Amino acid sequence: MRVRRDPRGEREACRLAGHGRLRFVLSIAKSKGARPRRAPRALRLAATVTTAPRLRIAWKGGITPHAGRTDMAACAPAETVSIVAEPAFYVLVVPEAGSDGELGETGRQLLAAARLLADRGNGAVCVLGDGDGDYGPAGADRVLTLATSDPGGYDPEHRVAGIIDAISVISPRHVLFSETPEGGDIARRVGARLGERLFPGVEALEPCAEGGMRVLRRMAGNGPAQLASPPRLISIMPDAFAPHVGPPHEGRPLDALAPVVPERRIVSALPLPVDPDAIPLAEADFLLSGGNGVTDWQAFAELAAALGATRAGSRVVCDQGHLPRERQVGASGTLVTAGCYFALGISGAAQHLQGIARVAHVVAVNTDLHAEMIKRADLAIIADAQKVMPALVRLLAERRGRVR
Amino acid sequence: MTRVAVLLSLGKHPASGRSRRAGLDARALELALDLARGMPDAEVRAVHAGDPANEALRDYLGMGIETLDVLDVAPGHDPVSALAGFLRAGRFDLVLCGMRAEAGEGSGMVPYLIAETLEYAVVCDAAAIACAEVGARVVQALPRGRRREVTVVLPAVVAVNAAAYPARAPAFARSRRGRIAVHPAKVCEDAYLAACETRPWRALPKRMALASGVSAAERMKALTEVKAGEGHLLVHPSPEDAAKAIYDYLIEKRILQARGSKEEGG
Repeated sequence: MRVRRDPRGEREACRLAGHGRLRFVLSIAKSKGARPRRAPRALRLAATVTTAPRLRIAWKGGITPHAGRTDMAACAPAETVSIVAEPAFYVLVVPEAGSDGELGETGRQLLAAARLLADRGNGAVCVLGDGDGDYGPAGADRVLTLATSDPGGYDPEHRVAGIIDAISVISPRHVLFSETPEGGDIARRVGARLGERLFPGVEALEPCAEGGMRVLRRMAGNGPAQLASPPRLISIMPDAFAPHVGPPHEGRPLDALAPVVPERRIVSALPLPVDPDAIPLAEADFLLSGGNGVTDWQAFAELAAALGATRAGSRVVCDQGHLPRERQVGASGTLVTAGCYFALGISGAAQHLQGIARVAHVVAVNTDLHAEMIKRADLAIIADAQKVMPALVRLLAERRGRVR
Repeated sequence: MTRVAVLLSLGKHPASGRSRRAGLDARALELALDLARGMPDAEVRAVHAGDPANEALRDYLGMGIETLDVLDVAPGHDPVSALAGFLRAGRFDLVLCGMRAEAGEGSGMVPYLIAETLEYAVVCDAAAIACAEVGARVVQALPRGRRREVTVVLPAVVAVNAAAYPARAPAFARSRRGRIAVHPAKVCEDAYLAACETRPWRALPKRMALASGVSAAERMKALTEVKAGEGHLLVHPSPEDAAKAIYDYLIEKRILQARGSKEEGG
């Protein structure tokens, strides 16, 4: 703290007394002012706790402030791993099986919901993984590995035996499933086997008056909301919770499980070939879509057959009758959710781009470099669709021939 | 002789709330009637647990069954024990039902609880069913329009999906002619459901796709701007180069490879 100057006092001290005219002797030592002077900038800097993501100043103390101004880079990603060493209870998360230990979108949402339940007390989230995936960043404290006998096969009874084994090992307070066709099936099998009530299709967790949490679901047929304190078995609706965004968790592996394999009652399971054009447009995973730039519809059909893609089109081609109306993609047609959208000769009207807003990968072939579809596409090719289609059919036939 | 039981529940019209036949259960009955048409020694029994006086039950009779067995279960009571008792006495090979009810709790647990009580196998999401030498072949409808055929040993409970063939329209004369046989049932009240609080449904706030913590301007931008692609661009390549680029991209993103492995599996 600097000493506050007192200019008038200093001036008085320098004055020579006696004469009619004011005289000052500036060589006289300056007097020390009594009142110390505040330095507001230094005070503010000393009280600053963080500057990012938002400025935070603790004027009253209580929180140890940083010595100086903390910069963005040092503060933004707090790379500390949260560790729950001695959990009061466990929350077991059962994500959907398959896809090589990769946690899908629903799996991440499931872990986020489990974190909400676990963080109310000093709980730990344990995920039932089926590979050597990294579950820590998604919010898992522990990982139990359940080896699948036949990856890609369908043996729900085997998986249920594994889950029941896991429940008996860690005796969790809650077990969370995802309310997808496969996850819902597993959840109900586990519920029936354990003879416990399943609370299916939870849409939200809401705090209640006693300080706990309540789960909320909707009853059948646009029915009322049903609320209860969370039971042991819960299944969570997809997209009900946002994935975990906080610091990564430990993801420590526990001992692998070796469940007793029950006798198979579902003897065999094999995928059936499906006609791609019979799949509803909103459900199809791979779409081949034609627009006004396509004139050779025979080649278009051949390419769709070679790729195994579902055929779709823009409004213009459906208006012209090249494709039936239910194949139209866009605001006035179907909003598609495909994994891949292959657009041929589509310029990309705003209404069409709305229709493909939820598509993961877009490939576009168009003659116009400045078309909107070219900007949207992940792989854009400036070429005539009529020349590319037969070339791609030939290439596919050649590669298939080499594989066989 | 194959004995088939179909579990039928009452549906509810989504807009008017009037009682009607449940869509999924009617599909299950349609599958059972279709199965019986191909096999002369099959016997189809339909059973409902609930109020025998409900007129909407006659819609099921109109689909071509002579008798509908109704277990007299009051509303708010758990029908599983009554249904399981009826099915155990009937020694059925195949029990068909819809995936879940259209009214009430709609937890979709009934097929699983019955299968567990009777120690039957259970298969869900059925779109078609046929009898095989060792059991029944069930075609399951999976997401994204995929289909899977599973073979299950009998006896089994099969839950029917909305992808199954739509049910026939009820015939009026048959629905009048059919008989409703009422059986008394001993059930207990569903205490858990009675203890749960219910309130009118209120729409939940839409979840934003963006993480919190970023600035408001960034959230606004992410919500409003058109998503731009990765932006690999080839200008006037030869058709062969273009085809190669597309093929490589589809392989890289596992869109074609996934299909190839599926074909190998089939």
